[in-house]
Amino acid sequence: MLTVVVVSVIKALIVIGMVLNLAGILGWVERKGSALIQDRIGANRAAIFGFAGAGLVNTLLADPIKFLTKEDVIPRGVDRLLHTLAPCVALFPAIVAFAAVPFGDRLRIGDMVVNLQAVEIDVGVLFLLAMTSLGVYGVVLGGWASNNRLSLLGGIRGSAQMISYELAMGLAVVAVVLTYGSLDFQEIVRRQGHMIGGWIPAWGILYQPLAFLLLLIAGIAETKRAPFDLPEGESEIVSGYFTEYSGIKYLMFFMTDFVEIAVVSAVVTTFFFGGWQVPFLASEGFVFPWGWSVPLPHVVVVLLQVAAYMVKVFIFCCLQVLVRWTMPRLRYDQLMWFGWKVMLPLGLANLVVTALVLLWIQG
Amino acid sequence: MATRTVTVQRPAPMDAPQGVVRSGAAVLKGMWIASRHFWRNFWGFVRGKPTVFTVQYPEERLQQPPAFRGMPVLVQMENGKERCVACGLCEWACPTDCITIYPAETDDEIERYPRVFDIDMSRCMFCGLCEEACPEEAIVMSHRVEIAAFSRRGTVWHKEDLLVPLRELETTRFPHIRRTYESPAAE
Repeated sequence: MLTVVVVSVIKALIVIGMVLNLAGILGWVERKGSALIQDRIGANRAAIFGFAGAGLVNTLLADPIKFLTKEDVIPRGVDRLLHTLAPCVALFPAIVAFAAVPFGDRLRIGDMVVNLQAVEIDVGVLFLLAMTSLGVYGVVLGGWASNNRLSLLGGIRGSAQMISYELAMGLAVVAVVLTYGSLDFQEIVRRQGHMIGGWIPAWGILYQPLAFLLLLIAGIAETKRAPFDLPEGESEIVSGYFTEYSGIKYLMFFMTDFVEIAVVSAVVTTFFFGGWQVPFLASEGFVFPWGWSVPLPHVVVVLLQVAAYMVKVFIFCCLQVLVRWTMPRLRYDQLMWFGWKVMLPLGLANLVVTALVLLWIQG
Repeated sequence: MATRTVTVQRPAPMDAPQGVVRSGAAVLKGMWIASRHFWRNFWGFVRGKPTVFTVQYPEERLQQPPAFRGMPVLVQMENGKERCVACGLCEWACPTDCITIYPAETDDEIERYPRVFDIDMSRCMFCGLCEEACPEEAIVMSHRVEIAAFSRRGTVWHKEDLLVPLRELETTRFPHIRRTYESPAAE
């Protein structure tokens, strides 16, 4: 019993550490990446003993310290409870959503088998959908509690946008769930383990390319980043729902963004790019279709899988950063039109076609 | 006059099916351009040959052209003294009255010198009329621009602060002065 508790705590700590570190590194990627995309240099001034680490010191040390030591302004007339609660409500579901996503296969230590997944839920997909839906509350509460018309506008925009795109996201997810016949993330990843014809990894993107696009776009919309950053809309409504926030609460909203990016990347990786699966890597080592095989110890295999998962997630995070610094913001009517008239019909069509094909296959 | 009409071929609207496809293609093209910029600049930094145009100011400085007017300074001769003879022409020429001169006498070869020579940099507008008025080529617009101070008093520069060695000015501002004003000192 004690070992189970200890293992669970360790797994939870690993996942939280992974998420928060990834969020920090993403902040750095976003800054330097945007600078390079725009032919700039980017943050490089903050340094410890002359070591700036290409802006790493600035983003990972100087910025958090700055945010933590800044005055936490609570303007007159705000609802103090909700104003304080909103950033927590925004950040919490984003981090918790990670719990259901597996970051590796089973790890055998002696005769103990550890499932590398923070929380083993059979209905992980539903849990994830529920948690991403909760994210909207942070936005709405932040906008409502701020006693600021711009914040309120941002909150309203945010709730409208997130509800609209959640439908398309849900439909894409349902199509994926139909394909794999399971709501368990670990099971979905395992189903992507074999090779089609021995050569091509049977990743979800081959079965559900349209669902991949829909989920990625809807996911970016859920993270409220450009081109879907209307809730923030800094050129129109100052800073949207977190206009009235400063100090550590602002940092929490800021981190929510990056954690949500990581969540979207993790989900896309798990559904469509084999999660922790490494091509040609079986549980005993590499087995190549042309006859070679490289036997590897169990621990190395598991570590390779975890590394593959992290690399895949990081690649999709970078893709989202690229999208964010490429696309201009949509107009509000374009946003709604795209969500309801393009994404939703496509998602429905995808679902119907998937269901019909499955019916045909299973006779 | 005959009316000429031009039929404009507008692209399909965004909410038509081909408009959606076109928008998608534009998105991909934009991402291609952005990633091209990223990788070009990234390899530029990795190879140590940055492809960005940023000048990292306090460490790196651009060479200004000779006609550039920075803050007015006093020319310091090789013996460490100022060239100024405290005639007061610059004081008179200054549109903003930012120059204050108290003259005095010495037994040196140049008998007059400014006991006090203050320039209030918060009032100076870098017009260069003092330089034009000066018969001795003693006050010139240098290429220096860093006049920020923490107090109003700090913006008043005294004679000792204003002295700039002749050697620095020879290469920066003097070519322009001699070309433009043909001042006596150039001959």
